[in-house]
Amino acid sequence: MFVQVNQLQKRFNDHQAIKGITFHIKKGRCTALLGPNGAGKTTTLHMLAGLLSPTKGSISYNGEKDYRKHIGFMPQHPTFFNWMTPVEFLYFAGKLSGVPKQSLIEYVNNSLSFVGLTEVKNRKIGGFSGGMKQRLGLAQAILHQPELLILDEPVSALDPTGRREVLILMEKLKERMTILFSTHVLHDAEQVCDEVLMLKEGEIKWEGSLIDLKKVFSHTAIHIETIEPIKNAFDELIKPEAIHFTTDNNATILEITPSLQTNDLLTTLISRGYTIQRFEVMEDSLEDAYMKVVDI
Amino acid sequence: MKNFLTLFQKEMLESKRNGKWIWLPVVMMILGVSQPISTYYMPQIIEKAGNLPEGAKIEFPVPTGAEVLAATLSQYGTIGTLLFVLATMGIISHERQNNVLTLIMARPVSAFQYIASKWSSQVIIALSSLFLSYILTWYYTNLLFSPVRWIDVLTSFLIYSLWIIFILTFTIWIATLLRNTGGIAGVSLTFLAALSLLTGLITKYMKWSPATLRNGATSILMHNQSNDIFLLPIFTTILSSIILLALAVFTFRRLERF
Repeated sequence: MFVQVNQLQKRFNDHQAIKGITFHIKKGRCTALLGPNGAGKTTTLHMLAGLLSPTKGSISYNGEKDYRKHIGFMPQHPTFFNWMTPVEFLYFAGKLSGVPKQSLIEYVNNSLSFVGLTEVKNRKIGGFSGGMKQRLGLAQAILHQPELLILDEPVSALDPTGRREVLILMEKLKERMTILFSTHVLHDAEQVCDEVLMLKEGEIKWEGSLIDLKKVFSHTAIHIETIEPIKNAFDELIKPEAIHFTTDNNATILEITPSLQTNDLLTTLISRGYTIQRFEVMEDSLEDAYMKVVDI
Repeated sequence: MKNFLTLFQKEMLESKRNGKWIWLPVVMMILGVSQPISTYYMPQIIEKAGNLPEGAKIEFPVPTGAEVLAATLSQYGTIGTLLFVLATMGIISHERQNNVLTLIMARPVSAFQYIASKWSSQVIIALSSLFLSYILTWYYTNLLFSPVRWIDVLTSFLIYSLWIIFILTFTIWIATLLRNTGGIAGVSLTFLAALSLLTGLITKYMKWSPATLRNGATSILMHNQSNDIFLLPIFTTILSSIILLALAVFTFRRLERF
């Protein structure tokens, strides 16, 4: 097992932020930590990054005690020394993580070009935009080529372009390292992650692969729109309880029995003389699955 | 050790970039040198400024060089203490407030390395400023008043340095306890002022007090006491500085949120 978290608890004065969670991170996989605001995502990540000590429970990383040199951490809002340049900061960070002197220049240049900050590498960080700081935050996290990359809300604060860029970078990083990231933007999580960990009020609500999650919670529905009133179209075909009529011409079939083929449904409707305007098979997105898990 | 040096170099570079290496020595030098110069020109200053009646004559006894240097030390004791506390108060809380500390502590850095880098860089800047200021003041004192032996100047500087180290260590400890820079300065200055005041008021019971070292440095210049009286405060100052430093490391390690 790569990273094993056992009965982890964190208490801030009288507030129990994490209520004993147990999970593991698989090597080489990209895990998304999902949950509403205040679920304890940042607290969990900070404990994993060694910034907070757990009140109870344990984190084991290949059995090592101080594993901080193997991880790269990017906080939610990375801030730097404004008087430094990116190159100076990365040198400073690299030395602290014990990167050998001879490879430091190479590492710094590599991570700067990876996040696309080579052109501004000698400008003062003080004048950077939020997106540039986010990218520099990613650069400092991957600088020492860690085994585990922990990203706290890497895309939440970015504009759509910046978000896409970071997601593409994460997609590339997935091949090289294990990634654990938190987010509340589910669409983004869906694009890059393999594993999902859902947290709510300090407890794990669901854990498993993205595929399994969709299998368990997803549920297909068919949306049909016709020109003629649709009221009696499904007689003897589908139970009335499974149909939800929005208007006279609109119907959503919520429950689909395996015996019912969508093609058969379509041909039957046409043969009964209905003019189909819209016929859509809808699959639940991660968002729907998330809402179901979180609302449990 | 390697991480300590990296952090220490960063502190030095930061102090250079934000101008602390300039303003602290310059202000200290102005503070020091103003003492012999204003003392020397005091008769003229009073003559020009005061509304003295016609024919009034004021006789000033010309102070010795040692007395002028001793007066300089007392300047360091008040305004100097204020300057050192102000220069030190923000070094940890600033990094905590803007969260850059999370980036540092997510790397294999120990609390001791971090605190030690802050402490040593502050001590070096403060003592360099004090040294430059004191040497310059000594030069002017020798020029304008009676000469003072260099060995006395050096010994009094060393004794006084211990007090400065005590001030800085105390401020750094408070800086690990509080987040607010104003609070750090307030608590540190109040404590140091109270300590100095108590040492002055009940000298009999406060022979161990680090503040005694300030008078000690003065006495060395004036040759009016034997040096071994200061062994006790020297000992307590070094010991309490070590304890305060250990406490700072301890509280820093226990910080819940950086």
